[in-house]
Amino acid sequence: MRKLIIAFALICAGGLAHAQSGNDMRTLQDDRGRTVSIPENPKRIVVLQEPILGVPILELGRDIVGSYGRNDDGSSMLRVDFIQSVLGKDGKALGIGGIGPIGNLDLEKLRALKPDLIIGGESDEDKADLLSSVAPVYLQNIRTPDITGFITQQKLADLLGAQQQYQALWDGYQKQIEDVRAHLPGNPDGKTYMAVIIHDTINMVTNKSGAVQAIEDLGYHRLEIDGTGKASGYGQGFSVPLSSEQFARLNPDLLIVMNSYVSADRSEETIRKRLDVIVPGWNRFLRPEKEGRIVFVDSVKVSTPTIASARHTLDAISDWAASR
Amino acid sequence: MRLTKGLHGYAVLRLGSGLEIRLHNLLTAIAMALLVVIGGVVLLTMGSTDSTFSDLVDLLRGSAMSEDLSFAIADVRMPRILMGFMAGWCVALTGAMLQSLAQNPLADPGLLGLSQGSLVAIMLVLVLFPGLPLIYTPLAGFVGGLAVAVLLMVLVGRHHSGGLGILLMGIAVETTLSSVTSVLILYAPPEQSHAIASWLAGSLFHSDWPAVGGFSVWFFFSIPAVLVVGRKLRSLDLGDHMALALGEPVHVTKPIILIIAVLLSAAATAAVGPLVFLGVMAPHLAGFISPAKGRARLLLSAMMGGVLVVAADGLTRLGPDQVALPTGLAIMMIGAPLFIISLRIRTMRQARS
Repeated sequence: MRKLIIAFALICAGGLAHAQSGNDMRTLQDDRGRTVSIPENPKRIVVLQEPILGVPILELGRDIVGSYGRNDDGSSMLRVDFIQSVLGKDGKALGIGGIGPIGNLDLEKLRALKPDLIIGGESDEDKADLLSSVAPVYLQNIRTPDITGFITQQKLADLLGAQQQYQALWDGYQKQIEDVRAHLPGNPDGKTYMAVIIHDTINMVTNKSGAVQAIEDLGYHRLEIDGTGKASGYGQGFSVPLSSEQFARLNPDLLIVMNSYVSADRSEETIRKRLDVIVPGWNRFLRPEKEGRIVFVDSVKVSTPTIASARHTLDAISDWAASR
Repeated sequence: MRLTKGLHGYAVLRLGSGLEIRLHNLLTAIAMALLVVIGGVVLLTMGSTDSTFSDLVDLLRGSAMSEDLSFAIADVRMPRILMGFMAGWCVALTGAMLQSLAQNPLADPGLLGLSQGSLVAIMLVLVLFPGLPLIYTPLAGFVGGLAVAVLLMVLVGRHHSGGLGILLMGIAVETTLSSVTSVLILYAPPEQSHAIASWLAGSLFHSDWPAVGGFSVWFFFSIPAVLVVGRKLRSLDLGDHMALALGEPVHVTKPIILIIAVLLSAAATAAVGPLVFLGVMAPHLAGFISPAKGRARLLLSAMMGGVLVVAADGLTRLGPDQVALPTGLAIMMIGAPLFIISLRIRTMRQARS
């Protein structure tokens, strides 16, 4: 009897200690097939891909304590700041710390942030075992062919138990879709679109961003172009190269054009100058330009896989529709 | 043990067993060993976690210290330094062996295409069999490197392996394999091509204790290899005919040394990526500081390789926070100027004499 009482007391003490830690663990399988134990309610998340993983988490109302591409003071190492541009939030004020320069992750800095969960993409798989010495590492597919539109954000919501926040964002987004559709010049159902981003060359934007999700949710479908599939050798990332000749022949019902996200100036004027260099005379023969069917957008605002990026795209399309 | 003067005019330390060591070789080896130890201690105190020399002493004594500090010194910095030294040792040793084997001062696992052969084989394994345990990557690297070595021998022919022919053929094979590498990166799934691109630049990032433990097998294998191969290379340095006249079975010795060189090169490539040009630089720098033959040359070359990689690791930590300097590039930044200076001084000396 005395042993039973002791055992019961030990079990109670163990349970109490576990409850006081305030963070139960759960075991699950990540997208790379790894079995990983993560906190039920992670409080100190570090992301290894800020635009694709960090911004969606912040929009869901969850905090991140560290991100690849941030300085120690929370400012962006890059010329662009996705958190500021997409969400209007300040990385410094949010207290997001850096984990070393891009391409050279600093394990000491990572550990100093005391993360309880590290979230990375499939390209971080080679680092996962090493990073696991600091905190549990969950790898989520972000660039595989099955990942389109908001799927990344939706999966993060499921992972972090933020389904309600995601649903609220989704409801607001759906309302805006209906509003914008009502103000478009003509019914978009069955009409075509093409989204391009201009780096050194012109590239077709694939369906991995909030921008393309929004355009397709409006009813447009992508203009088919030969030679841009996986067999072309360019893969299926965020964008695939498009030749100047192909661009000059484009005639979708809606053409979305954005400047590279590494460019400081992403205004319509700069985009036009860049096109003058890459495709001289484009404004004289490109039909969407001649017929006023081009929408210029800020690539930083619209390229993340978030509802916020989709809504920025809808804002731009709405402004374009109003100006016609 | 006594100090005497050899026939060549250098001071020689004669050991009781009959072993002779030139005094300047011994002093250079001691100096480089000290440099590695001092450099290693300095690097152990360098990093984003504040640490001092007394923290190192505390760690060695087993005194209580913060978990962050213990993690930084013992789990991040220490394995990185050890891996850097061992990988540099093996690559430089390979370079020194190949230079004697090919009787060409430019022979290097990179220039001869052995590293590229290992790289392509490792990449093929990573792309085609992504789930395969990492323990098999050195094996794949060995097969790839050995295939290139055999191909070179077949293409160049046994009798021309000592001249410019093998070097030119090696460069041709290396260039061809580089294009295969580019195609593999282009067509590999993005998650793999990102990791491969980072590894191709040469990186000590993955140096944790299990990796150090795995690689140490090759490092410790290289030490008896130096003792055995060094003696053989002394004969081979005189040319095949002279080596045969001295009783060295060249047709057996050369393939064995080549296999050892490929093994060490493949293991280093699999662990830290290709450390380009280190195999040429380190033996030349070691030879410039302290000319040597046989075992001493191999040992000094290997130590110089280790010193250069440890120094390069320090350089990568000195840069600004925003700059990610790959180890391979840092080695070039340190080694290339020293290499150029040493060649220039050697040329001036030759001109004077």
